[in-house]
Amino acid sequence: MRFFHLIVLALTLTSSGIFAQTLPAPKAKAAPAKKPRSVKMFMRDGLRFEPPRFMAEPGEEIVVEIENNDSTDQTHNFVLLRPGTKDSVVQAALALVEKGPGLEYVPPSADVLVHSRLLTAEGSGSIKFTVPTTPGIYPYVCTFPGHGMIMYGALYAGVTPPPIEKDPNIPPMVAQGAVAGGGKRPFTQRIFMPDAGPAAVAIALVGSQNVCWDAGQCRLRYAWQGSFIDASENWAGNGKILPVLSTKPWWRAPKDVFPLRFGAADSAAPHVKFLGYAVTTLGPVFHYRAGETEVYEHVLPAVGRPGIALRLQIPRATGPVFYRAAADPNAQWTSSAGTWQDDVLTLTPAQAADVTLTLTSALCSP
Amino acid sequence: MNPVKRSPLLLALFAVSTFASAAETTTTADARVAQHYAIGKISTPPGVDPQLGGLALLPDGRLAAAFHHGQVAFYDFKTLSWKIFAEGLHEPLGLLLSKDGSLLVMQRPELTRLRDTDGDGVADRYETLFDDFGMTGNYHEFAFGPVRGPNGKLYVSLNLASAGDTIREEIRGEWSPIGLPREKFYDVADWKKNSTEAGRMYGRVKWRGCIIEIDEASGAAQLFATGFRSPDGMGFDAAGNFFINDNQGDWRGTSPVHVVKRGAFYGHPASLVWRTDWDGSEPLKLPIEKLNALRTVAAINLPHSFYASSPTEMILIPQTPAWGSFGGQLIVGEMNSGRVLRLLPEQVDGVWQGACVSFLDSPALRGGIHRLLFVGDTLYLGRTHLIWAGGEGIGTVKLTKTPFEVLTMHATPHGFRFTFTAPLAAGAAELTRWPVRRYYYKYHEPYGSPQTELTQITPSKVTVSADGLSAEVQFADLKPGFIYDFNLKGLASTQGESPLNPAIAYSLNKVPTK
Repeated sequence: MRFFHLIVLALTLTSSGIFAQTLPAPKAKAAPAKKPRSVKMFMRDGLRFEPPRFMAEPGEEIVVEIENNDSTDQTHNFVLLRPGTKDSVVQAALALVEKGPGLEYVPPSADVLVHSRLLTAEGSGSIKFTVPTTPGIYPYVCTFPGHGMIMYGALYAGVTPPPIEKDPNIPPMVAQGAVAGGGKRPFTQRIFMPDAGPAAVAIALVGSQNVCWDAGQCRLRYAWQGSFIDASENWAGNGKILPVLSTKPWWRAPKDVFPLRFGAADSAAPHVKFLGYAVTTLGPVFHYRAGETEVYEHVLPAVGRPGIALRLQIPRATGPVFYRAAADPNAQWTSSAGTWQDDVLTLTPAQAADVTLTLTSALCSP
Repeated sequence: MNPVKRSPLLLALFAVSTFASAAETTTTADARVAQHYAIGKISTPPGVDPQLGGLALLPDGRLAAAFHHGQVAFYDFKTLSWKIFAEGLHEPLGLLLSKDGSLLVMQRPELTRLRDTDGDGVADRYETLFDDFGMTGNYHEFAFGPVRGPNGKLYVSLNLASAGDTIREEIRGEWSPIGLPREKFYDVADWKKNSTEAGRMYGRVKWRGCIIEIDEASGAAQLFATGFRSPDGMGFDAAGNFFINDNQGDWRGTSPVHVVKRGAFYGHPASLVWRTDWDGSEPLKLPIEKLNALRTVAAINLPHSFYASSPTEMILIPQTPAWGSFGGQLIVGEMNSGRVLRLLPEQVDGVWQGACVSFLDSPALRGGIHRLLFVGDTLYLGRTHLIWAGGEGIGTVKLTKTPFEVLTMHATPHGFRFTFTAPLAAGAAELTRWPVRRYYYKYHEPYGSPQTELTQITPSKVTVSADGLSAEVQFADLKPGFIYDFNLKGLASTQGESPLNPAIAYSLNKVPTK
């Protein structure tokens, strides 16, 4: 029912990918056409398209379903352009001056491939078209006066996009915002993560390190350096597509090994129970029970060296505590207290009350 | 949508002409809704994805809202501004103010208590209250709630996984050995074939497809009920009866609303393996007769697409002058259209049944009405969509003038008794003004169900009360097990108004004896 107020525009691009002023008459097709893929496109507050970019196959038929969800009551359109023509078309739209409203701010230009109607707030519409067969990065832009410099995105047709935070074809603010936390450090995001259990936590540490901590298993899983996770595909979908790390982890914990042991280094792994975390200016302090023992685990950037640190606080250990740091030729563990032997750190109960383990690697840079 | 081959300029002109005619219908419908309801919106926090997972009212009068990317933010009605309270949560789909003043939020992996211990207005403790349930990492394992029952206990509902995807290599929680062997879930090349054996929706890790009862202080949890698929909406009627709806799909001919009791089973077999008394048999392979005998049928069926396609939160309309005679009735949101339904449940000889009717139905409400909250005289609508039909942002609705509507509907030994918000005009007793489509939805494994044994019937007798406010509608053969779907657009009030929402569907499980 809500589509009664839609503005429906249906059109087809020529297979050359260039919109021709005169097109051949439609040909009757023998086979029933495959239902075109639908791409949702939202116009949001702050002059933004969501998604800021999407991929399509050259020659693919798609329907872009557009909703103007701008709660500040701004009017927008969606104009798909030939590669490299964004700035000139935005200028041409501005140059329409008093002719603009009559043309809904779409300049009559061969660089305009397809466009929607002007959509007032809460308006919606859809455009069906064939993606140009020439691979390329096709900009889309809102040509309403004043919007085009900020409000744009990119259709990647047969071209692999760069990491989103480095994508020059989307607005810089949007690129930054696509990274969970928008560049804030420290920042903790619970989300599905690759190579971890489903109750995972991603943490952007102060500086340039990031870690994945597993709340299901109460332990550190891996660390990587650089930009934090790009969760845009995970969030744009239903959670099925996992977030993307900016670089390969420089360290990974072995699978299925809980590192803490109580009483004896070779005792069985304790059952763990996650109890939550406290937020501090230096990142989260995880709280869990390992067996009967309460543990606080603060994940931090390493001090003075590239890497990460784990400040463990076990206030009520009744015997020796062991941290089994698995052997890794690329990583070095050190600690503020205790004794190391064969990658196992032994702590007295007093030492376990507050100890910092530092993990560094030649694979991470200062 | 016929392809149009024109220059861009001509295209724009073409669109103008088609738009004009398409818009007319909406304008008329909206104009009628606008005579009775004021529909508006509030902003959402800048820079925050505007899809809503939860709404709650804080003791200081601020609105708390949970958002798709994991923020919880507070809206101050005086300054019209937002403040971020918490962030980084995993798909929060429910908010509830705790008895101790903290805020409870249901995330995909856990029920969490958010506390601001230093009083700076931002949460600094994210305490896990309950996470003793399974996760395979399948995208469809959403977790909803919590709601608080009249007994003070919290309830959460745990979605099944979808055969639209398999499971992650690492899972959390106990794996049930009953059904397709786990290694087959990793045979991704053959997943299409294997998934049919897994079940269209499956619940192989602990308590998937179940309703869980939780102690608010300790977090101690126990299984409360089984048989659910994607139970987004939980709520209580004025008497404290526990209502839970579910989404049309496999084993769900249409979206049901159940009245839920401890230990009972509500139809989707996947979760039966989590009953402590389960005998170990594969629920998917049980004869339908056995499942039918085990299950409690829906109190109210929401006929698919006509009333709801994907029902959401259920709450009570406040009994305040602002909401007039609708006060105390249950409403439920709907994802696929701009609609909120009223539910009119009743218990007949111990069996729950009743009717659904649109409460608000307007494109102006947009779709995706996921979370509902009354604050003062205003109903707030929190929208979402993920990859499905829906909407964004927070809408508002106020009743400005009660429309002419069916107010209540009850089953009688020979038919139904209706009451109205305004007196019926003369001629309401004409039988042809009460057309009914009678049908039922099948209980079976396939996705959805056609309207089965669909018959167009008319009453045998209609009696209107002297004051015109109620009508008795009788049928020659009143059959239980059917939905009686009335279209009352032929009725009029003494003011000449037809019902704003003329379609009302009663699920007749039991014919009253008296």
